[in-house]
Amino acid sequence: MTATTIASALDAPTRTALAGFLLAMADDEFVIGFSDSEWTGIAPILEEDVAMSSIAQDELGHARALYELLAGLLDDGRDADALAYDREPEAYRHARLLDHGRGDWAMTIARRFLYDTADAARLASIGAGWPPLAELVAKIRREERYHAMHALAWVDRLARAGGEARARFVAALDELARDAPSVLATPGGEAALLEAGILGRSMAAAFDAWRSDVAGVLRPLMTPLALEPAADAARHRAAPSDDFRWLWGEFTSVRRSEPGATW
Amino acid sequence: MTDPLALDPVLPPRERSERSARRWNEDLPHDERYEHFEAHVLGGGKIEPNDWMPDEYRSAVLRFVEMHANSELMGVLPEREWIMRAPTLRRKLALTSKVQDEVGHAQLLYRVAEDLGKPREAMFDDLLAGKTKFHNVFHYPTRTWADIGVIAWLVDAAAIVAQQALRDSSYGPYSRTMQKICWEESVHIMHGRDVVVTLANGTTAQREMLQEALDRWWGPLMQMHGPRSDRSKDRDLHWRIKARTSEELRQEFLTIYVPRILELGLTIPDPELAYDKAAGEWRYADPDWNELRTVVTNHGPKSQERLEFRRLNREATAWVRAAVLAEPKAAA
Repeated sequence: MTATTIASALDAPTRTALAGFLLAMADDEFVIGFSDSEWTGIAPILEEDVAMSSIAQDELGHARALYELLAGLLDDGRDADALAYDREPEAYRHARLLDHGRGDWAMTIARRFLYDTADAARLASIGAGWPPLAELVAKIRREERYHAMHALAWVDRLARAGGEARARFVAALDELARDAPSVLATPGGEAALLEAGILGRSMAAAFDAWRSDVAGVLRPLMTPLALEPAADAARHRAAPSDDFRWLWGEFTSVRRSEPGATW
Repeated sequence: MTDPLALDPVLPPRERSERSARRWNEDLPHDERYEHFEAHVLGGGKIEPNDWMPDEYRSAVLRFVEMHANSELMGVLPEREWIMRAPTLRRKLALTSKVQDEVGHAQLLYRVAEDLGKPREAMFDDLLAGKTKFHNVFHYPTRTWADIGVIAWLVDAAAIVAQQALRDSSYGPYSRTMQKICWEESVHIMHGRDVVVTLANGTTAQREMLQEALDRWWGPLMQMHGPRSDRSKDRDLHWRIKARTSEELRQEFLTIYVPRILELGLTIPDPELAYDKAAGEWRYADPDWNELRTVVTNHGPKSQERLEFRRLNREATAWVRAAVLAEPKAAA
């Protein structure tokens, strides 16, 4: 059964809310996949280069699967590529956390740690109300476990290294802490998603779970981060930064050179 | 915890006994060891890292493998610029995976070279100081998306012709590494061919972009395997470190790929290119060997920029390696 036929069982407000939620998740995975793939070929250690490229590919694979679900739901003739690429920068809905440029390795690890843990809390919030998403999420969670192990190993290593490594890492976490809760901002139409069982708990509940996860990891390593809930998704997933505009200019450049062509 | 199976000997018993038998020569005088070594290698035998080998063999293998590793490492730079610009999700995933493979090859090959006695950091130092080389094709710019197709299809094809022959190398670890590398390279060629075929069947602008890329890459491709050389004077061939001459590799590349390129309606920018049936080989305009010498001595169009990019990147990430190699401290 396709996403389109399954979606026809949903009422209009629920479909709209679901489309917004899927787009935000897909854009998150798409943008972090791009940031991580910027390390391909230039990571600090060859072994780590290979690992980070695998993570980037996983995220981009998740983004593609989510855009495909969204394409089925919207059923307006756009495919996953059109959804991913053919929008103006203002129309992307990735979280503010992912709106920073790639930065150094400390920023990359800090972002991965904050995003992986927040994304895990989000994925754990998805209920069985819309089977295509529930099935995809089960698959994504299997892969994300390894991303989390990777991020946690680096968090531990950098925080315990002392010196420049620790200083850079702590500074990166401080810089990103303000924007990190944006991943779990309350989505538009959340009540409808909860009602339909597409979400099993609110993003506010996911935020509480995430905040205690982060505190548990960082407690033995450093002073805790101040994480405040991000109430409004509209504010935390809009108005892209200059870093994202640069990224958008890059990733659409070939496609825009010959619009409508097959690549 | 280590899986106990991982500690078991990897080689089947027959090969194991052969390996230990090759410690034959620890008590022999040098000349006799050398004779044993020669007979073993010329008879098709493999040399393993702990076997006795003449210094000349060790340094010849090291030089060969190190240049191959350098080429994989530098070879990621022209393509990685386009990971960001890949025009669809599928292309983006394929290109990331391809460049990841090249990094993986560099890692495998540097490990083979490390076992021959040169530390990885020393190899990076020499590469960045211009003391060691990397292949000519990685000194050129990538100007359009079509370059990504031409590199993955034809540059990788020219490389795989050489690499397939290296699966028979007399140096055991290198020959085994090449088996894995060749398998992955064959996937790259399929990715490249798909990009090229899509462009060839695309709009006029896309076809022109493809022809323009082929025009630029043809010269470097014809130079890639090097000038004709005298088989009897090549010590790498004598010791079976490599198996085939430059010209044999170039001829094989032309035999397989010229018909495929023409099939797509592309023009090969060499009016002299033709198959001479009587001689049983391809005729072609003499490649520009001066260009090859200029380029591989780091005077190519992108040589210095790419080396400088690697130097800066290595400097910028030094703190990470320091943190990983240092002993962890107690948390504050």
